[in-house]
Amino acid sequence: MNTPQPHRQFAAERHHSLERRRFLRGLGVCLALPAMESLMPSRLLGAASPGASALAGALGGARGATTATGAPLRMAFLSFPNGAIPSKWWPTGDGKNFELNDTLKPLANVKDKIQILGGLADQSADNGGDGGGDHARSGGTFLTAVRCKKTLGADFRAGISIDQVAAQQLGHLTPFPSLQISCDTVQNAGACDSGYVCVYQHNLSWSSPTTPLSPETNPRLLFERLFGTGGTAAERQQSLLMRQTQQSSVLDFVGSETRGLGRTLSARDNQKLDEFLTSVREIEQRIQRAEASPDKHPDPGIATPAGIPASFKDYVRLNLDMLHLAFLTDNTRVASFIFKGDGNNSDFAEIGVNEGHHFCTHHHNDPDLIAKTCVIDHFYATQFAYFLEKMEATKDVDGNSLLHNSMIMYGGGIADGNRHSHDNLPIVLAGAGGGTLKPGRYTQYDPAPIANLYLSMVDRMGVTALDRFGDSTGRLANV
Amino acid sequence: MNTPSERRPNAWVLLAVGSGVSALLGTLLLTGIAGCSSGTPVAQTSPVTPVTTKQPTSPSPETPALAQFHQNIQPILAENCYECHGGGKSKGGLALDKLNTDDQLLHNPDLWLKVIKYTRSGIMPADGNPPLSSQDQATLDKWIEFTAFGVDPQNLDPGRVTVHKLNRTEYRNTIHDLLGVDFNTDVEFPSDDIGYGFDNIADVLNVSPLLMEKYLTAAQTVVDQAVPNKSRVVATQLATGKEFLDATTGKDGTKMSYFTPANVSHTFSIPQEGDYDVKLEEGLGSDITFTTANCTVTVNLDDQVASKTVYPWHGTNYGSEIYPSWFETFHVHWAAGDHQVSMNLEPLAGGTKSVIAYQVRKVTIEGPTDPAKWVHPANYERFFTRDEAPTDPDARRAYARELLGAFATKAFRRPVPEESLDKLVDLAQKIYSAPGKTFEQGVAQAMVAVLASPRFLFRIEEPLAASTTPGSFALVDEYSLASRLSYFLWSTMPDDELFKLAAAGQLRAHLAEQVQRMVADPRASAFIQNFSEQWLQSRAVLNVPLSAKDILAREGITASAADDLTPAQRVALNDEAAAYFGYVMHNDRSVDEFLDGNYIFLNSTLANYYYDATYARNFPGNEMRKVDLSPGDWRGGVLTMGSVMMVTSNPTRTSPVKRGKWVLENILGAPAPPPPPNIPALEEAAPKNADHTPTMRETLAAHRADPLCASCHDRMDPLGLAMENFDAFGAVRTTDLGQPIDATGKLSTGESFKDVRDLKHILVTNHREEFYRCLTEKMLTYALGRGMEYYDVPTIDKIVKSMDSNGGRFSSLLSGVINSAAFQEERTLTTEPPAPAASAPILSLNTPR
Repeated sequence: MNTPQPHRQFAAERHHSLERRRFLRGLGVCLALPAMESLMPSRLLGAASPGASALAGALGGARGATTATGAPLRMAFLSFPNGAIPSKWWPTGDGKNFELNDTLKPLANVKDKIQILGGLADQSADNGGDGGGDHARSGGTFLTAVRCKKTLGADFRAGISIDQVAAQQLGHLTPFPSLQISCDTVQNAGACDSGYVCVYQHNLSWSSPTTPLSPETNPRLLFERLFGTGGTAAERQQSLLMRQTQQSSVLDFVGSETRGLGRTLSARDNQKLDEFLTSVREIEQRIQRAEASPDKHPDPGIATPAGIPASFKDYVRLNLDMLHLAFLTDNTRVASFIFKGDGNNSDFAEIGVNEGHHFCTHHHNDPDLIAKTCVIDHFYATQFAYFLEKMEATKDVDGNSLLHNSMIMYGGGIADGNRHSHDNLPIVLAGAGGGTLKPGRYTQYDPAPIANLYLSMVDRMGVTALDRFGDSTGRLANV
Repeated sequence: MNTPSERRPNAWVLLAVGSGVSALLGTLLLTGIAGCSSGTPVAQTSPVTPVTTKQPTSPSPETPALAQFHQNIQPILAENCYECHGGGKSKGGLALDKLNTDDQLLHNPDLWLKVIKYTRSGIMPADGNPPLSSQDQATLDKWIEFTAFGVDPQNLDPGRVTVHKLNRTEYRNTIHDLLGVDFNTDVEFPSDDIGYGFDNIADVLNVSPLLMEKYLTAAQTVVDQAVPNKSRVVATQLATGKEFLDATTGKDGTKMSYFTPANVSHTFSIPQEGDYDVKLEEGLGSDITFTTANCTVTVNLDDQVASKTVYPWHGTNYGSEIYPSWFETFHVHWAAGDHQVSMNLEPLAGGTKSVIAYQVRKVTIEGPTDPAKWVHPANYERFFTRDEAPTDPDARRAYARELLGAFATKAFRRPVPEESLDKLVDLAQKIYSAPGKTFEQGVAQAMVAVLASPRFLFRIEEPLAASTTPGSFALVDEYSLASRLSYFLWSTMPDDELFKLAAAGQLRAHLAEQVQRMVADPRASAFIQNFSEQWLQSRAVLNVPLSAKDILAREGITASAADDLTPAQRVALNDEAAAYFGYVMHNDRSVDEFLDGNYIFLNSTLANYYYDATYARNFPGNEMRKVDLSPGDWRGGVLTMGSVMMVTSNPTRTSPVKRGKWVLENILGAPAPPPPPNIPALEEAAPKNADHTPTMRETLAAHRADPLCASCHDRMDPLGLAMENFDAFGAVRTTDLGQPIDATGKLSTGESFKDVRDLKHILVTNHREEFYRCLTEKMLTYALGRGMEYYDVPTIDKIVKSMDSNGGRFSSLLSGVINSAAFQEERTLTTEPPAPAASAPILSLNTPR
């Protein structure tokens, strides 16, 4: 007789999955992070950088996407749908002396790290003879600042989005030129908003007027994309290297196959294959950069997220955690983030709103629906605050906080969801841009295109030779 | 898109080819479409008007097109349209009497598309004026289709489908058929963007770096999973606890109580004498965590005791969710024949009658362990044709070429170009020649490259004859046709039979029987689901937010948590639509039954949902069964299906406007334009002085008092109000907010009805042709993966005509689509040079349009 022993003739093994599973379950709420410095790629402070524009130099960013201290400068655009109830959004007071209104109260802890910008407009989303479809238009125009073509399919066209302008000039500095993240997993069956193809509502970033960049929605996949697959840091490193080797062997073939096809296809076909080839090239370049500096794969030292959490709040936070990690590890300096696509009509039963968000925003002055919309507005602001506090609590390579070295814009292309207005948009700009921004203020600007703000942001990123963007009329001064 | 001036002369050139095509197709038709192209006088006299250059505007002599317009068309327009669109009036910015040049008439397809759509659906003439006489309509139709659109009736314009990326459903199915692996693209890939209401639209499916990366990862994952990386492994046999049975009690080994003696066994058949490893995985489990108990388990191999173990249960020691596992391995020398592995459990004193269990999880027999007796790994023969790769380098390379040629041909769904194959073999060789790598690893990595190739990820089509005139039409080759068929009807790659026929050039010759085979095949459920759930938008029921509290409160019911829709109910509601569609298809019923069929489909969940638990006992399980309804029943047909009623509701109440809009878009094919900006809210327009809460009907009526709103809401609202007997949950009701429901109404085309049952009848009798046209447009869109264009109108008409003469039988629709020029042919490439790429430095981006 014997009792079970750890070792028999066959190497026995206790399953540790229980502990592991318990750990993962709690992950959505708190991501335990190791000491920050260990995650910083060593090359950062001494990084060489491409030629910078005079304008960028004047603003302190002597090098692309880099602060005056040599730390990385990050830029992100976070978009929430359907506008916000204006009377609960806009602060009282102005300049440095302002009081947060109900919706933005969650930002109290980071009040001196944010600017609330009034008076900005996305006029490309206005009706302009195209009829209904304001949600689709807001989605398609928000970061492109150009009218998107009203079509159900074939000939959709917006513009390059401002994050991609930066990614295309500065993306070579990081493993990923940019990231697109979304917490909106559901595509509408059938039709989207009033005669518009769905691409406008589900994508925020566009690498060309005809190429929307589909966002990643699954935090597990996002994590694995950044850090590799596996249960430990060593396994993940190993998988990243293996992925590089395997992909290199395949990409060569794929590239030549694609080029070989071009001869027999139509112009429209070739456009599709161009997208394909561009994608192949971007991955090739990433592998080349990784091979050139093999020390730049810091591992976050945490378990891979299990997938999409059931609670929307946990889901949003987990994706925001991933964005935080991507910035922290300098995997990218440019990102766009969709809480939900514009026009989204999901219910918020987990915070007591059984009606759909879009439905509530068309409140027709029903106090009950207005109150419910405010609950949702407040919910989104709370998640944004969670992200900012996390960014603020994290120290960057230069001793400043990550938030200090970032420009995080939060807002949407619709101001008042009840009226579908696109002027006086709800916009918050968080972070100090590495010391080039003046946060801690509420500024009501004379009406101006939001594209002016974009130009002011990409100037600081070190984007060169961009005089105008979309409907811009200049730079937004005093940010 | 080709411009009309390029298109037309080529149509002339192709007449001979075109008639050949028609003759060929005629023999293949399941039903008689071929006869429909006769009776087009316009075509006989002047089939196509060649227009090669733009004509100067005024004093030139009248072209034939212009003369024809003045003689035949202008009188119709003058009589029916000029009241608003002529004589100085230009309502909606349109003055039809100002169209005087060839350019205005013949290069203006968008305008004429509107004219044909609006007149046919009775939207125009507006304001209560009578519709065009059927003769006038026919004359106008013909002129628009064959002269204004410039389509040659003998050689319909097939259009051209952009190179078509597999969507995530197609990718998943194709990988499954190719490799036998289920790769869950719903989790791994971002959702596909939707265009024209469907998720398989070539122009809308994009590739981004993210997606490209996912394709690379997916390719590696599925190949790693499916393709063996060595030629020999030790043979294994596996039995799970379920297969270990107690001869006396019949219970299995998955959960053996600590308190009941038991003896479970399984007999393995051993093919040859040799050394074997018997590997056991055992475990413990309990529903509670705090009792302690012991049992003894004796493992016997045949009649030999292999081990005897006391398994203690220490209460909380192991935690409550994941139970510990133990592994044991025994080395044995077995003769060929049957060998038994058994576990004998003896309870030991102690503990209570709680559920503590010893579990047999699995037993694996590995052997013979002698490497000389190893066997091919699972799946080896699926990818490797020989027992072993040759050792001679040249022979090895030739074998790799043979394997990769076969695999890539299947994966590309057409023969692989020699050049591509060379590169694949190079890739494989580079890997298998490296130290420590096997031949199989090299071939597998080349297979990864195949799956990342654009030839796999895109459906790349070619015309039948390489010698086709540029800028004209040609049949697609049979490989393209095989893929068109399989992705249309199965959402996956062609199977061996289709592929072999295509390779032999025999697919068109056997088209009708192949379509019949494909429709009868279980894979056709992909078409049933993907088409019907998107056409009817029933798929949205899986996510649509609905608040039971608010919806039921309108009917005086206080909702409980049990009233909220469960995921299972949502699934059943969505499945109902597919079941209905599948029935009509498989039994070749008339599509009219989509509108007024007197039957529904129920499974257990749905019967319980629509009726009650008692009735649901008649429908055990998930299978959908047809139920015939008595005359006068509220249900039947797609219009009042639960899923449709729900996806066209607001979260708290029904929306007659959305329901009316749904009918216009998905049944009648005449969508209302989107509302103008800043419209007053429905509730704001509600009558204020009423002595009761205004009903939905009264509210909408007040809304329609504004002529701006009335033009569209006159069409939508009656359709939607007719369905008010169904609440936002799809349940039949007679009151809303305490008032009886009035579902009577009058369509903008004049017919009066008393409720939705009447309406269904009116739709299927008076609006059948519109419905046929709408359904045809939807199916053609799905089948081709592109939106409908003006030049598709004659193609659609032809199919509708055939449906009409076949009583709307489903097969007439399906064969109409498959035999259409659009499905069988493509525009060949023009010779126009590509526009030069701009290379100026970026100064201004996204200049406002």
